[in-house]
Amino acid sequence: MEHVITGFKTIAPSIPYIINGIWVTLGIALGAAIIGFVLGILLSLCKIGKIKLLSGIARAYTSIFRGTPLIMQLALAYFAIPQLIGLNDVNPTTCAIVTFGLNSGAYMSEIIRSGINAVDKGQFEAASALGVGYWPMMRDIILPQAIKNILPAMMNEFITLTKDSAIVSTIAVTDMMRRSQIVSAEYYMYFPPMFVAFIMYYIVVLILTAVGGRIERRLSRSDQS
Amino acid sequence: MIKAEHVFKDFGSTKVLKDVTLDINKGEVVVIIGPSGSGKSTFLRCINLLEQPTKGNVLIDDQDLVSLKQKQVTKVREKVGMVFQHFHLFPHKTVLDNLIYAPMKVKKLSKDEAVKRAEALLEKVGLLDKKNQYPNKLSGGQKQRVAIARALAMEPEYMLFDEPTSALDPEMVKEVLDVIQSLAESGMTMVIVTHEMGFAKQVANKVVFMDDGRILESNTPAAFFSNPKTDRAKDFLEKIL
Repeated sequence: MEHVITGFKTIAPSIPYIINGIWVTLGIALGAAIIGFVLGILLSLCKIGKIKLLSGIARAYTSIFRGTPLIMQLALAYFAIPQLIGLNDVNPTTCAIVTFGLNSGAYMSEIIRSGINAVDKGQFEAASALGVGYWPMMRDIILPQAIKNILPAMMNEFITLTKDSAIVSTIAVTDMMRRSQIVSAEYYMYFPPMFVAFIMYYIVVLILTAVGGRIERRLSRSDQS
Repeated sequence: MIKAEHVFKDFGSTKVLKDVTLDINKGEVVVIIGPSGSGKSTFLRCINLLEQPTKGNVLIDDQDLVSLKQKQVTKVREKVGMVFQHFHLFPHKTVLDNLIYAPMKVKKLSKDEAVKRAEALLEKVGLLDKKNQYPNKLSGGQKQRVAIARALAMEPEYMLFDEPTSALDPEMVKEVLDVIQSLAESGMTMVIVTHEMGFAKQVANKVVFMDDGRILESNTPAAFFSNPKTDRAKDFLEKIL
């Protein structure tokens, strides 16, 4: 027990360095969530639309991104594809955000699609009968109701992104995971730095879960009133 | 004027409309009655192309909707207001926002104009004091009156009513029928699907009796209710009156 405490004392100067990695982690998750959200809306509209080619493409896209490991996709995007097209200087953080965003878009599209399907068909009919065109109807009438229904599921997706973003340590992004490894190597001591990162991940996920719960409760209140 | 010519509608192998032809003249109030499943609502929904007829034509002011592209259909729909059995108000918008949305978005009215028009309409249906409420705070009868006002806010030339009182508690039926009646008296061209026979007698210029996807009778209310020609209509009236 004593050498564990000494361990934490030894790495103490590096603890802020590890903890600050959470901003890199959250930055990647947030960037990816924004890309994923926009992409998810586009894909879901393609899926429910009447144009067969687009819905086929959207379904294939979803199938591929959900059917392969994220770490594989990341390796492909960071190591394999740049080499293939002769790109030398790929920024790992940008690459990570884009890859996570593309991946998240596949999952988000399914969430959003189910949310749109859950909106009363009468809402489409009422808007159409008023002469409202497809795009304004989707933007102003259907999606706001759909997104309200699926906000909890989207919050979960964001939490998943936050946790999965630890994978970016494999392409040398200095997120919280990577920093804990760096500090471990520096002091040649694994437990204290990794434990700090471990706890920090858990705290952040707890906070995000609580925020999600609050939003959910607030929305259900406005439903009743 | 609205002309429906030889309209057929199939849902899969079920034939819901079998050759329906009907003219609705400007200023006319046409009430469609008939047993459940006779195709009344489907026919009404074919008039503004919420349902695409399998065969036949629907002309509004000599424009054949069936041959139009989606964009043009949307344009024609501005002229045809519709009121649904289940209201279909936009739940995330206040009463006022429900009324001004389409006029601003589709007719490009300024917000001031749209609000002015909406408030006048809410006044007319007796719900001006509810303008900042959300729909889930309203009773069924109030929702339906807002839905009528919302349709009228587009200043349509025609109004379609799809069983506007069927989802209401009995004590709220009258407040909605009163609004529809005053609209009829103002000269609005209307097609109403309803089970309210007394109301049909009162407001209709023409009563259309449908059964099994066909129009069996089309007559003045006086003639139809006192002297139905077909056995099917006699049978129907006996059961419900």
